[in-house]
Amino acid sequence: MRRLLFTILVILSVIIYTDSQARKPSSLTERVQQLTDLASKKSVLRFNTNKFREFVKANPRNYSVIVMFTALAPQRQCQICRQASDEYTIVANSFRYSQSYSNKLFFGMVDFDEGSEVYQMLRLNTAPVFIHFPPKGKPKAADTMDIQRIGFAAEAIARWINDRTDIPIRVFRPPNYSGTLAIIILFSFVGGFLYLRRNNLEFLYNKTMWGVWALFFCFAMTSGQMWNHIRGPPFVHKNQQGQVAYIHGSSQGQFVFETYIIMALNGAVVLGMILMTEAAKGKGDPRKRKFLAILGLILISVFFSLLLSIFRTKTQGYPYSFLFK
Amino acid sequence: MSQAGTKKGAVSKINKNVAINSLIVFVVLLLAWVAGFASRLFAVIRFESIIHEFDPWFNYRATAYMVKHGFYNFLNWFDERAWYPLGRIVGGTVYPGLMLTSGSIHYILHLLHINVHIRDICVFLAPIFSGLTAISTYFLTKELWSTGAGLFAACFIAIVPGYISRSVAGSYDNEGIAIFALQFTYFLWIKSVKTGSVFWAVAASLSYFYMVSAWGGYVFIINLIPLHVFVLLLMGRFSNRLFTSYTTFYILGLVMSMQIPFVGFQPIRTSEHMAAAGVFALLFAVAVLKYLQSMLSKSEFKSLVIFGGLIAAAVVFVTVVLLTYAGYIAPWSGRFYSLWDTGYAKIHIPIIASVSEHQPTTWFSFFFDLHVLIPTFPAGLWYCIKNVNDERVFVILYALSAVYFAGVMVRLMLTLTPVVCMLSGVAFSVILELFVKDEDSNSHPDTENDETSHGGKRLYDKAGKVPKIIKHESKEQDAIGPNLRSIAAVVFVLLLMLFAVHCTWVTSNAYSSPSIVLASYGSDGTRQILDDFREAYFWLSQNTADDARVMSWWDYGYQIAGMANRTTLVDNNTWNNSHIALVGKAMSSNESAAYEIMTALDVDYVLVIFGGVIGYSGDDINKFLWMVRIAEGEHPKDIKESDYFTEHGEFRVDAEGSPTLLNCLMYKLSYYKFGELKLDYRTASGYDRTRNAVIGNKDIQLTYLEEAYTTEHWLVRIYRVKKPDEFNRPRIPVANRVIKSTFVSKKNSKRKKGVIKNKPVIVKGKKPAVKTQ
Repeated sequence: MRRLLFTILVILSVIIYTDSQARKPSSLTERVQQLTDLASKKSVLRFNTNKFREFVKANPRNYSVIVMFTALAPQRQCQICRQASDEYTIVANSFRYSQSYSNKLFFGMVDFDEGSEVYQMLRLNTAPVFIHFPPKGKPKAADTMDIQRIGFAAEAIARWINDRTDIPIRVFRPPNYSGTLAIIILFSFVGGFLYLRRNNLEFLYNKTMWGVWALFFCFAMTSGQMWNHIRGPPFVHKNQQGQVAYIHGSSQGQFVFETYIIMALNGAVVLGMILMTEAAKGKGDPRKRKFLAILGLILISVFFSLLLSIFRTKTQGYPYSFLFK
Repeated sequence: MSQAGTKKGAVSKINKNVAINSLIVFVVLLLAWVAGFASRLFAVIRFESIIHEFDPWFNYRATAYMVKHGFYNFLNWFDERAWYPLGRIVGGTVYPGLMLTSGSIHYILHLLHINVHIRDICVFLAPIFSGLTAISTYFLTKELWSTGAGLFAACFIAIVPGYISRSVAGSYDNEGIAIFALQFTYFLWIKSVKTGSVFWAVAASLSYFYMVSAWGGYVFIINLIPLHVFVLLLMGRFSNRLFTSYTTFYILGLVMSMQIPFVGFQPIRTSEHMAAAGVFALLFAVAVLKYLQSMLSKSEFKSLVIFGGLIAAAVVFVTVVLLTYAGYIAPWSGRFYSLWDTGYAKIHIPIIASVSEHQPTTWFSFFFDLHVLIPTFPAGLWYCIKNVNDERVFVILYALSAVYFAGVMVRLMLTLTPVVCMLSGVAFSVILELFVKDEDSNSHPDTENDETSHGGKRLYDKAGKVPKIIKHESKEQDAIGPNLRSIAAVVFVLLLMLFAVHCTWVTSNAYSSPSIVLASYGSDGTRQILDDFREAYFWLSQNTADDARVMSWWDYGYQIAGMANRTTLVDNNTWNNSHIALVGKAMSSNESAAYEIMTALDVDYVLVIFGGVIGYSGDDINKFLWMVRIAEGEHPKDIKESDYFTEHGEFRVDAEGSPTLLNCLMYKLSYYKFGELKLDYRTASGYDRTRNAVIGNKDIQLTYLEEAYTTEHWLVRIYRVKKPDEFNRPRIPVANRVIKSTFVSKKNSKRKKGVIKNKPVIVKGKKPAVKTQ
């Protein structure tokens, strides 16, 4: 009986001992070694909850960890996370292959679906979030990167990291061949097309086609597509009550949808002018021509008035209008 | 006209028509000139004959210098009053065309004993040149389409806001004369392509020379004309006329453009000019091939073209790339590069991105500046493409390139405006020619055209003459009935009237403020003039030493130099980014750090613009983030943009603003003593009207500076920088002054008798023995 008790005790103690051995946090050097090994394989380390506790939350540390909290799973439908993740990987790779590479800084990421407890622990409810975990102490307010203001371009991330850790990272973007490739494909496509139709190149002399392209380009430019391209405004604006504003209220801004409206209005006016001219100039059925002329006139006057009234809503104190208020 | 009388019969009738036509053209152009001139005078009438805002002040100062000291001294002028302590070589860093133009007008008028002050010439130069622009636009459009379209275009450009914005009276800037030079060069170029005569090509290159001397935008010409030639070659429209005109134009233009000191060797050393050289070579290659074609068989020629062409293209390309790498050809400069890669400037050149003119254009700005021309000019473009010929290819390319550039940068709306006017002129002329028809079948089509345009033109000036047009279209025509014709005419006339009133409204409301004199309107419509800028500059000129150095943000550099005649550190010629960054750093550091910079730069006075009292939004606090950004670009260790934001990333001047902001020099100088000011009884003291907030740091003490002058509405505040022996020695009121001394007098009422200290003691006694011998 005593023997049995003793053996049980021994066994239990052994179990407890091994258990505690397993649970005991690994020492600093071990962790750094592990992290370095991992980082040499992959520049951005994927943390789940346990690994996050082990490597990022554990103390003491002599290294900084930058962690991106993100949600990359397709069902989360986070477009921005994907872009942010790409930029982040560029920074991590730049660091990985740079002169200043050391084991003082590691890049990690936590996906929401793998480490939702971490999200709860840090009270995060948005993604993506970049947080810097300094070697000593807890992250301060400035250790969370302000995406709203500086964005998440690789250069911005690198500057922020330099700010927080004093480790300069020169961002080296892998040369983007996709643009070049697209151009080459386009050229070869056009070239191949021309070659295939080399006996019938009449369409190159088709003025209507060229005219339509030129006009389309003009409409795109004068409706502010370049502004959209550079500034990236929202498509439409939804306010809290759920009402949708299609037209930006001030003269300084515009929505994407608004520019499409303007493009259509401009196009309609031009179409009206062309219809009128063709009707007056052309030969053919007089009734049809008359109809076209009337249609053209209506297009011009109605759509120009619409254009003017949209303009009027955006200008304070503009006194003139035509047909509509 | 004199000819018309001498000939007889049909000839005399035609001549009579010609005479009437040219009279109409003359009258319309004259009216366009007058209307254009008149609508640019709002600022002069409302305020006074004064030079506007920033750059014009430098141009005016340079012109005045040139008139006073002569042209050669002007070319050698080293301005030690700018960019202290660096100075600026003015003669080599300006486009002298503007100064020369007004200087020579001044010279001629004085020869005729018309003693006009140079300032008045400078003020009225741009409106006068707008008339010349209208005339050259007329000629250009006439070459491209017809006289009627030309008259429309001339009238449009005379009053269109997109051009008025740069050419109101007082806006004495390069663009004012450059658009005339641009249009005139294009006219001469088209003329030379049409005729193939050396005469017109030489004239075009002379006009190009004038353009180069006037504005940096000449690069647009030297790229557009080669593009035109290139596209003509692609379209198989090579001709000897083209060859003659381009080769003449290019060589003469190249040699002449290099005579401008500021341009120098750029035309052969920078990428912007390489396209012209490449096309020049290509044109020769094509000419040689054309010659060979007449000698070789068809198949031989074909292979020669293919291989020769490919090899030549490869050789040219490789040469250019190699020369660029070797450093003989400078790559694209940042300003031009940002036109292609639209995100470039924002990341790399904050000083370019900070200028509001370099922002992309919204559709609103297009409509605001061009109104009815925006939805109608594509129709003109359509007809040019449909009826294409050599010179219309040019206007198509002009339109497409200009519309792209205008989309990228608001500022380049200026180059778009002329072509939009021309194409709209074409569109209106085509449609009115068909719809507003004189039924007299004998009459010459040109006549109708002129009259319709004339009628259309008249309407912008005198709206009362509508019936004149409607009279013309009366009779039945095959398809379009008279009713429809008159309705159409009325609609188009209404559109043109809307355009005219829109132009006047925009000019009057948006583009006619001199911006150094502000006006505010009370609720009862009374006008109050805020003349703080001139007040401050006058104070500077009267109360400071002649060599005093004034530090301010670069926007005000030219004005300080022009009006106060004092030395500035940085100005609107933003050639030295690091110097600007140093000033930005001084403005955004705390007072003691700023003092070190200011003593290093020998600053005597600091000038800040503060709009919090009157709600002026263009003041220095609103520009402040750009100062921080530019400073951060050069001194990333000392200045960090994020320090100036609150934790939520907001830029706030109230109590929640970041402490770095609340203690930086710019904040202190703007709000010094503002915390004690109560603007009206409803708001708290220290309420900033521009940012609608009560300021966060009301108790501002200045150690190293002292307030020297603040203008009536607090718009300009000037501070004096103390010398090192002045600060940290606060003045003590007389009553509290204590003189420390260790000497205590021993005199008192009892001991009146004084004592002598260290009095030699006389020992009384025996007489020393006298030695006797």
